[in-house]
Amino acid sequence: MVQVTPAKRKEGAGLVIDRNESLTFTPSVPNPITVPPSLKKRKSTLAAVKEDTPSFEEQLEKLSQSTAKVENPEDLWKRPALNPLDPSVDAIVFQQIDVDDVVQAYPETLANPHSIQEASTVRMFGCTMEGHSVTCHVHGFLPYLYVPAPVNFQPHHKEVLHRALNDWFGANRNNRNVPVVDIEMVLKSSIFGYHGKKKALFLRITFRLQSQISAAKRAFTQGIEVPGFGKVACDTYESNIPYPLRFMIDTKIQGASWVELPPSSYQIRTDNAISSSQIEIDVHYSDIRAHQPEGEWQKIAPLRILSFDIECAGRKGIFPEAQVDPVIQIANMVTIQGENRPFIRNVLTLKNCANIVGTHTMSFDDERDLLRKWSEFVVAMDPDLIIGYNINGFDFPYLLDRAAALKVNDFPYLGRIKMSRTNAKDSRFSSKGLGTRDTKTINLEGRLQMDVLQVMQRDYKLRSYTLNSVCAHFLNEQKEDVHYSIIADLQNGNDETRRRLAIYCLKDAYLPQRLIDKLMCVINYMEMARVTGVPFNYLLTRGQQIKVVSQLYRKAKTEDLLIPAKDAEGSDDVQYEGATVIEPEKGFYEQPIATLDFTSLYPSIMMAHNLCYSTHLETLKDAERHGLVRDKDYKVTPDNAFFVKPSVRKGILPTILEDLLAARKRAKNDLKKETDPFKRAVLDGRQLALKVSANSVYGFTGATIGKLPLLAISSSVTAYGREMIELTKSRVESKYTIENGYEFDAKVIYGDTDSVMVKFGVPTVGEAMKLGREAANYVTGYFEKPINLDFEKVYFPYLLINKKRYAGLYWTSPDKHDKMDTKGIETVRRDSCRLVSSVIETCLKKILVDRDVTGAEEYTKGVISDLLQNKIDLSQLVISKALGKTEYSGKQAHNELAERMRKRDAGSAPAIGDRVAYVIAKGTKNAAAYEKAEDPIYVLENNIPIDTKYYLENQLSKPLMRIFEPILGSKANRLLTGDHTRTISVAAPAIGGLMKFAVKSATCLGCKTVLPRSRDATSSDPAVCEHCRPRLPELYVRHLDAQHELEVRFARLWTQCQRCQGSLHQDVICTAQDCPIFYMRKKAQKDMGETAATVKRFDYAW
Amino acid sequence: MLEARLAKAAILKKLLDAIKELVTDANFDCNDSGIALQAMDNSHVALVALMLRSQGFEHFRCDRNHSLGISLASLSKVLKCAGNDDMLTIKSEEDGDILQLVFESPSSDTISEYDLKLMDIDSEHLGIPDTAYDAVVKMPSVAFQRICRDLSNLSESVSIEVDKEGIRFSAAGEMGNGNTRIKQGSAVDDEGVATTIELNQSVNLTFSLKYLSNFTKATPLSDTVSLNMSADVPLLVEYKVSEIGYIRYYLAPKIGDDN
Repeated sequence: MVQVTPAKRKEGAGLVIDRNESLTFTPSVPNPITVPPSLKKRKSTLAAVKEDTPSFEEQLEKLSQSTAKVENPEDLWKRPALNPLDPSVDAIVFQQIDVDDVVQAYPETLANPHSIQEASTVRMFGCTMEGHSVTCHVHGFLPYLYVPAPVNFQPHHKEVLHRALNDWFGANRNNRNVPVVDIEMVLKSSIFGYHGKKKALFLRITFRLQSQISAAKRAFTQGIEVPGFGKVACDTYESNIPYPLRFMIDTKIQGASWVELPPSSYQIRTDNAISSSQIEIDVHYSDIRAHQPEGEWQKIAPLRILSFDIECAGRKGIFPEAQVDPVIQIANMVTIQGENRPFIRNVLTLKNCANIVGTHTMSFDDERDLLRKWSEFVVAMDPDLIIGYNINGFDFPYLLDRAAALKVNDFPYLGRIKMSRTNAKDSRFSSKGLGTRDTKTINLEGRLQMDVLQVMQRDYKLRSYTLNSVCAHFLNEQKEDVHYSIIADLQNGNDETRRRLAIYCLKDAYLPQRLIDKLMCVINYMEMARVTGVPFNYLLTRGQQIKVVSQLYRKAKTEDLLIPAKDAEGSDDVQYEGATVIEPEKGFYEQPIATLDFTSLYPSIMMAHNLCYSTHLETLKDAERHGLVRDKDYKVTPDNAFFVKPSVRKGILPTILEDLLAARKRAKNDLKKETDPFKRAVLDGRQLALKVSANSVYGFTGATIGKLPLLAISSSVTAYGREMIELTKSRVESKYTIENGYEFDAKVIYGDTDSVMVKFGVPTVGEAMKLGREAANYVTGYFEKPINLDFEKVYFPYLLINKKRYAGLYWTSPDKHDKMDTKGIETVRRDSCRLVSSVIETCLKKILVDRDVTGAEEYTKGVISDLLQNKIDLSQLVISKALGKTEYSGKQAHNELAERMRKRDAGSAPAIGDRVAYVIAKGTKNAAAYEKAEDPIYVLENNIPIDTKYYLENQLSKPLMRIFEPILGSKANRLLTGDHTRTISVAAPAIGGLMKFAVKSATCLGCKTVLPRSRDATSSDPAVCEHCRPRLPELYVRHLDAQHELEVRFARLWTQCQRCQGSLHQDVICTAQDCPIFYMRKKAQKDMGETAATVKRFDYAW
Repeated sequence: MLEARLAKAAILKKLLDAIKELVTDANFDCNDSGIALQAMDNSHVALVALMLRSQGFEHFRCDRNHSLGISLASLSKVLKCAGNDDMLTIKSEEDGDILQLVFESPSSDTISEYDLKLMDIDSEHLGIPDTAYDAVVKMPSVAFQRICRDLSNLSESVSIEVDKEGIRFSAAGEMGNGNTRIKQGSAVDDEGVATTIELNQSVNLTFSLKYLSNFTKATPLSDTVSLNMSADVPLLVEYKVSEIGYIRYYLAPKIGDDN
């Protein structure tokens, strides 16, 4: 039977829809109305979700069972106690996670050949395998740069240059703190271009401070007077690399890797410790032993990960402001990397809060005490990594601002360096690949930060980035989305309502942890840091280039090559020809189509043809000068660039790529053998990181505003690629012909960048696979190693719509297809509504998997008919777009709507960076979409009619036609204009100038004629007209059924939401705008009210 | 069974031209007193009411009340096939899903028949109750059309001011402002349709010109237009269609900047 009626519940504030509160359930009647398929499907998924989501409270309880009970929960905060270290016996081995630099006094106890008082030092922060935190001050590693030696530079000139440079800096020569420490003459060569075997004389100039490097770089580019040489102006080499990275490169320390300090090499700081780490030491850089992340050293230290979330009590209609609105709760979850449950779970609340199972609740009456306690907690607990959702954008800045507003002066010291005040600074991250984003940088020395929101935005393309929808996507789990205007109400309630809020807050703190566990962010990022050799935090704060730079420097160092410090001054305008696309022969193929792919195409081209900075010959003259012979010593690429062959000199880039790909092969092999799930995760993360790194090398050479662009490389790479695709096509088509004894003539129907699709004509997948494999081997023979054409998969059937747009069933074994594969089809695009992707997906499934084109047609017609009758769920129609900036040149729907929403309620209006959700409502003829965009909630509340025509013509029609045209040809149009489009429904809105005056007259429920106004104003309208009276019983049953069905539906949705919030005894207060259930619930609620009113009209009839 | 014959197809053509800009699909409610249509425009700011009384038809028969759901764009396409002077007959069965249109040329030697598929339109039936207006202005429809057209060059809205002296339309825009004043009793053009004003109280209201201009699409239907106004009540613009009925437009006044 039916669930408990949720009728008497009060909806949360902020929602304005009246619910019909006096619902009566009607007896169940056999259901004569067929439920549209879309509805049925939704219900079943709904039921499925119900089964496996235990409430969050139950989760908390479970978590508490597995951890040991302690008397005082605060005892858990501290790291494991440290046994006293004996520097003469004990080695210190730790995984360094963060490296930064600072100017420090040079310790007297360490060797000091240049008698320096104060210099740049590197600080490494990390964690030992026993879980002890380490701060390591590295001395003696001084910043340096290279310049080409002026002509006739002799050793005795060093002194002259030394003085000239110090003079330039205006330094006092007798001071022990002069900028230039040392000048050394070395034989090296520039990485740019092939210079033969000869090396040139370079000067390596060492400075005392990192900041002096860029000043010196400026001095040399502008020219500097050196007695005896006149004005020396030259380019500098290796002067624009971050100092900590320079240190890691020179000491061969990879990112997030292990380092060892042998006994007697270090000194422990005790009284003069400046950090809160358990171990703080000074060491000379030459004593550090770096462990390469291989074998045993692939392990990861038991890092402490703190995930937190704060709640603030905002005022109605205004987004919380730190100057005014208090922080009312902070929830924390602390997990040790590699363990699957948080061992510290606590929440700090303002005012009392009822007990929560498995959670340490700390209540405060004064907000200052709450903030102080949290700061104390962070320092005591000493996390290595702090995560959370939008912590950099909101939580951290808010806490810092709030502490400043309340003058809690001891709050903002959250890093590992005791005296370093934590600040939030505005910063802008800009990268060609990842777009521009304004963020805040928070300095937490020695602690890594990972804002999961930023990770999501960087690594995944999603429709919406709210925590709720991200969790729904990755964890298959919804969370309540409590509008911040309700939070204040909960806070001002009693212990129980604050408990409710605390649970919500705890869940928000736990979800980011679960997300990064599920997506293995920590492991993958760590592996990326290890593979590319950059510090962990560069991965989030910097773009792609630094990773290649790091590898390039490391490799170049071994070959005595120097990398010029180019100023990024190129422009974006320089274009070169990209990859080739073979004109697709569009159509629906009901034969197997074999796909041949070049494995790692661009890296393999660079390796095969030895394309590198150091092998490049600028002109033919250069080749002559070095006495090189065409085709024997050097090659001309299809793009007419010249590169020497590996026999003359092996390039750096090909070597890097070879190493990366070999490492990937090893990782993949290890992965196959490995059974331990944790190690598998590490290896998988590694092979992925290696693949991504290998592919980014090509992009690096082509980044014209990059650090080291050389278009000759990138344009040659694409030119080779184009040539290879064409060659593959002609080889396959000339070999697999009837003439050559094959059954059919093979035909390449499409090809793009690194793959070609071949129709061999054979009817079965098995045969196509056999021919595909054979052809791949055959064609590979025509190319230089390591270029490899691989047979990967067969598509059967295959729907080729256009360039970069196709769909098909993906087979890798002849017995069963693996999946449905689609490219460039509107299943993922975010600027179209969900309806489009679900319709397209279902159609493709019906066409490709079920091979039922008629079924797909019928389904599409059904959806269109539902759409025109307003039966489609609003959530399906929501379009979302990120609000990038306030000023758009043209008027854009989301921007205009945000503006209008701000006028209605400044507090709930979307802010910059938010994704604005909107639907298109009906408007005047020819009105632009931006005039018709409307907030979905507003539409729902006011019953504003949806512009169904817009959705049909601007959203659905094009993608549908693309799919159906290759199959149905010109008949495809009937999908959009057939009989099913003739039943429509027009909603009357509840707002608008006229609605105040309009009077609704009842129409007959049987035939829709207008009924005469009833004489008695109090009685309700009759149900039917005179003519339809005989049909009264039939109509009654039909409406009763409809009402009944809606009641059941609403009750189910309501309980679904209650389950999601984890309690069946409380009202639902969730207003998650991304959640389809929310819209369904609202719609069902409203529909139910309407049908109830309709059914009431029958009352009079008896 | 519905069967109705109009002497001239032109009337229906003009009527359709007058509403199809505002409404795309609508129910025609037929009963023995005639055919009526009420619909809100797509942006739910204006309402159109159309009435064709049975007496105005050459022949009219409607056995029982029923609604015809019609796509106005489709109907207008079919009507393009009729000559202005053709005699037009529309027929529909109660349970059928088509509307039959028959055009007979004046000389009766050409007869064309068209079937139009009907739609099932589920919409609420809305109407504006009749009220007594403070000011009722009857003026030449051509003059009204012209004023709306002229002023829409200047601004998006027009304020209409009626007092005992006459009626004044004024618009102010970025580039400047303008107004037109018509005195009571004066004939604006040569054809001599005089402007008359019945006034209980002077009114001053502001309306969107875009909609008013849309309303003037009905100008070919009638020489005069009547503007009925009261403060804070929708404007009623009515065109009488000779002998047969009327077409009425309702438009809510603009308040402040809100639209």
